[in-house]
Amino acid sequence: MRASLEWLKALTGVSAPAAEVAERLTSIGVEVESIELRGRGLDGVVVAEVREVSAHPKSKKLSLVRVHDGEGEVEVVCGAPNVPAPGGRVLFARVGSTLPNGMAIGEREVAGVLSRGMICSETELDIGTGSDGIFVFGDADPDASPGTPVAEALSLEDAIFELGITPNRPDCLGHLGLARDLAAVYGVPFEVPVPRAPSRGAHAGEALFAEGMPRIGLHFAGTISEIGEPGRLLDVGVTIEDAERCPRYGAALVLGVTSAPSPFWLRYRLHCLGVRSISNLVDATNLVLLEEGHPIHGFDLAHVRGRRIVVRCAHEGETMRTLDDIERALNVDDLLICDGEGPVALAGVMGGADSELRDDTTDVLIECAYFDPRSVRRSSRRLGLHTDASHRFERGVDPNAIPRVLARAASWMARLGGGTVVAEAIDVVAKAIEPVTIRLRHERLTRLVGTPVDSSETRTILERLGCEVALSDEAGAPDVRFDVKVPTFRPDLGREVDLIEEVARIRGYDKLEPRVPRVRPSRTGTPAPILFERQLRQAAAAAGLFEAITYSFVAPGALAAARVDAHAVPLKNPLSEERSVLRTSLLPGLAEAASVSARHGATDVALFELGTTFHRTPAAEPLPEERRALAFLLWGAPERWLGDRRPYDFYDAKGAAESILSALGAGPVEARLDDALDQDAPHLHPRRRARLSVGGHSFGSVGELHPEVAEALGLEGRPVYVEFDVPALRAALVAAGLPQAHALPRFPATTRDVAMLVDEALLAGDIERALLEADDLVESVSLFDLYRGEHVPEGQKSLAFRVRYRDPGATLTDARVDRTHAALLALAQGRFAAELR
Amino acid sequence: MSDPVTRFEEGLARVTDAFGPAFAEAHDEHALRTANARFAGPQGELTVLMKSMRELPGDRRREFGQAANAVKQAVTEAFEQGLLRLAQLARAAEMSAPALDPTLPGRGVRPGRLHAITRVRDELVDIFASLGFDVAEGPEVDLYDYNFDKLGFPPDHPATDMQDTFFVTREEDGAPATTLLRAHTSTVQVREMLRRKPPFAIVSPGAVYRRDDDATHSPMFFQIEGLMVDEDVSLSDLMGVLTLFVKRLLGDDVPVRFRPSYFPFVEPGGEVDVGCTLCRPWAEGGAERSAACGVCKGTGWLEVLGCGMVHPVVFENVGYDPEQVTGFAFGMGIDRIAMLRYGVPNIKLLYENDIRFLSGF
Repeated sequence: MRASLEWLKALTGVSAPAAEVAERLTSIGVEVESIELRGRGLDGVVVAEVREVSAHPKSKKLSLVRVHDGEGEVEVVCGAPNVPAPGGRVLFARVGSTLPNGMAIGEREVAGVLSRGMICSETELDIGTGSDGIFVFGDADPDASPGTPVAEALSLEDAIFELGITPNRPDCLGHLGLARDLAAVYGVPFEVPVPRAPSRGAHAGEALFAEGMPRIGLHFAGTISEIGEPGRLLDVGVTIEDAERCPRYGAALVLGVTSAPSPFWLRYRLHCLGVRSISNLVDATNLVLLEEGHPIHGFDLAHVRGRRIVVRCAHEGETMRTLDDIERALNVDDLLICDGEGPVALAGVMGGADSELRDDTTDVLIECAYFDPRSVRRSSRRLGLHTDASHRFERGVDPNAIPRVLARAASWMARLGGGTVVAEAIDVVAKAIEPVTIRLRHERLTRLVGTPVDSSETRTILERLGCEVALSDEAGAPDVRFDVKVPTFRPDLGREVDLIEEVARIRGYDKLEPRVPRVRPSRTGTPAPILFERQLRQAAAAAGLFEAITYSFVAPGALAAARVDAHAVPLKNPLSEERSVLRTSLLPGLAEAASVSARHGATDVALFELGTTFHRTPAAEPLPEERRALAFLLWGAPERWLGDRRPYDFYDAKGAAESILSALGAGPVEARLDDALDQDAPHLHPRRRARLSVGGHSFGSVGELHPEVAEALGLEGRPVYVEFDVPALRAALVAAGLPQAHALPRFPATTRDVAMLVDEALLAGDIERALLEADDLVESVSLFDLYRGEHVPEGQKSLAFRVRYRDPGATLTDARVDRTHAALLALAQGRFAAELR
Repeated sequence: MSDPVTRFEEGLARVTDAFGPAFAEAHDEHALRTANARFAGPQGELTVLMKSMRELPGDRRREFGQAANAVKQAVTEAFEQGLLRLAQLARAAEMSAPALDPTLPGRGVRPGRLHAITRVRDELVDIFASLGFDVAEGPEVDLYDYNFDKLGFPPDHPATDMQDTFFVTREEDGAPATTLLRAHTSTVQVREMLRRKPPFAIVSPGAVYRRDDDATHSPMFFQIEGLMVDEDVSLSDLMGVLTLFVKRLLGDDVPVRFRPSYFPFVEPGGEVDVGCTLCRPWAEGGAERSAACGVCKGTGWLEVLGCGMVHPVVFENVGYDPEQVTGFAFGMGIDRIAMLRYGVPNIKLLYENDIRFLSGF
């Protein structure tokens, strides 16, 4: 919504700089998003009188115009087709001035003739949309002598506010409603002006409601039956067939109008407020819309067949052509305005093409109605037709302002179009909407606001906003209580608390005294699972992984490609097929993130995500199952140090997993082959994967992606993927308990190395465990070398272990170590057919 | 062939003459050790000589033994001095050698990084936790009832239709209730209110979903919402808590502005603006308010929070008596704070996961 400061000033009498008014409006919830100053930067553009027009010697399209700009006569070359005859007044940009579009006016030769300045069009000055010719003062425009600056001559100075009006405030979608709030915050009285017939030459806002103008009086009835011009008998009727959707409908007639361009002040005001000027008749309806916030519609009476208005719902299959010339398919939920034969408007949304106001319109039927907001919203959304009218009707206009708005519209129509208002008008009330009365307990107000408020101030504020406030007659009430009758232009005020907000709002939130609640220690604090996830994330980052956050919705094809559960929860209204189901795994998202990075030149990625996956549940469950998972993807060959590059492999991933668990204080990570991974992790390479567990509790899997999965996901090479089941991991760690400290050994250890050739299929971990468990003196066994190649037969590998022996109770003798070690070697030979080296 | 005595004497003399120059010629430790081995090693000249002493006549052995030991000692001392000399030379050379290149990259594990949203979420949660708020989470797919009805959204509120909210299909599974991807984390507030008894204070961070996908909207984003319910929580409390929060988050000097606004589930409702963190027009050395500021567009203010007093309808819907308890609620976009904090120009960057972005700051 755009609003004119000059208009608001005229309606309220408030006179303050734009920035201040903007701040006050914002402070009461009418947010001013930006301010656009109008009529500035036009120094050097003045009114000039045409003195002489002659032909250009070389060009037929150009003419030479001598103008008097108040200082002297100047000759300019002008290309416009509508240069007025001598005596006509135009807008002239002097040499040295700059136009709003940035054009600097200098002396320049046009087709061989020196032009000293420029005669301007509305578009060039950004004061209107007329661009097919220069601006020429007409009879209706103000008198201004040559040399008068344009801003003064045409009263251009204004500040236009771009407002963010919250959907609960339909009254603020018109200048009257804004003015009421503005007056309230400035503490000045406000009265809705009585519609009067404006005198000729009046500027909107300034003299609009001035005294001394004839007051328009409409006599409302169910029908109009009056002799208009001699010999023309009017007989107009309105029938409402659906009182729920259309509780009230009013109509007035203005006869004998002539369609013409609007006077400049109106065109300029509409231009500033972002509305295109069409004609005086259409502009009149828009002017009232912007003023009252109540959309009205003008029908060409000649095209209202049967001179009847019927408000009804559409029939199934019915169509109508709207103003925008589109044939619309309607359904039974759409409310229509019909004439004696068929639809002429989509109620509250858009008029029909056949009955719109046009150049040859002479008689106008003005509609001013109240439509059920929901009904309008449904039609508007279903048809994708959001208009200035639907915007207001779906928020709720004032049903009880209809007579006034109608009178106002009729008076403007008559004033601008030169017609006469038929004194008899129609007002059909199918269902009355009465103002509600709300009891306001002042103690409640103080309690909710938290800062004392004077009850007389409360009363004043509510009255300024248009409420009728009476002291409640409630007997024995412990505090001041008011009965507040809320005007119907404020449909948002329905409960006591709404009134409390009004008082707090108009007083200003800045008048409240901030206070901090008493400390109340929390029993729960941050729950452990949430803290655990935070630790996990931090550990993952510390292990060299970068956190990604990917969308929860993915393409069904991506799940299939990743060989994860493709029986996913679908969205009913996805944005696209690419994001149409909820992910069952983090893999597709991470793979896509990796691809994005690769496309932008990354040669390696190490990404992790901790997020939710979604899984279908049986009907008895109210919701799908949500699981929390941590996954990471290592892909490419990271540069380790100065060109030392090696692709990520299984052991990098396992190492990252180990380092994450170590940061969490967990015991050693066990990685083991497990054929059940065929079912649990089919996305992993069947020969290059492992189940991860800690303390015997399984919590995830690690492995190269299955080559076909990698291919399908567009990841070349051998990406490695790890997934943790977060709750399972937490449970495993909880089960394991906190790591415990031990006394340090008092006796020294002795180490012995053993190297052996074993079959390739044997697992180092199995041998390690066997050695460790072979004797109590063995404190630790660690693999320190793995070798294949020269001197090692095909199908075998060389493993070297370092065994540490210690007797916690005594210093070991060499002899004892030798004996134990020999037994270990024998065990390796016996159980693993190891060939000692 | 000369006799053993002569050979011994000659040998000893040769060693005596040779070891000094040989050690002096050695310019590194290896050469020195080689030279030393030539004399004193297991096969060294001196060693061999000393082994040959048993061939000498018995009466001269003692004399020659002393002589040989003297030479041996001299060789050992010279060798050790040689070592010392070389070490000193090496140290001196090291001290005058070119400095190492400290600009070469460091070696070792390079940590990754937490996503900007995670960092900001943790920070926000920590601030509220220290103000006494419990952290609560809830499902991302939730009931329509929790997302809209319980919060007092009228049935035809624009947010409730297919245009703005993602609905989840469960017909195939035969589930009767309407489910959706939560449009705000208020669903968690509803769940907590149904679960708890006042007084309590919670914040609920998490992913939320709206059907908007354009330059300034992401269909998934992150929110944190807060709720405090007690017998006498007021608008003034709300302002006190949120002012404290903003100052903790952005600094004591940042101005805070409360202004009325509208959300269906609060009344009175408001929004909180903070002084623009980019042009800082309020601060010493800050810029003039200017429309050129890409963040505040010259207003000097940034909108960061929506808030208000919990609407009585919401309390009624969860079985609280609005005459007995009052409460405030607030919510903000974690993404927005992250974008302000790290100068992220476009929300889409947050979800593209380009490694250059993730590792860039």
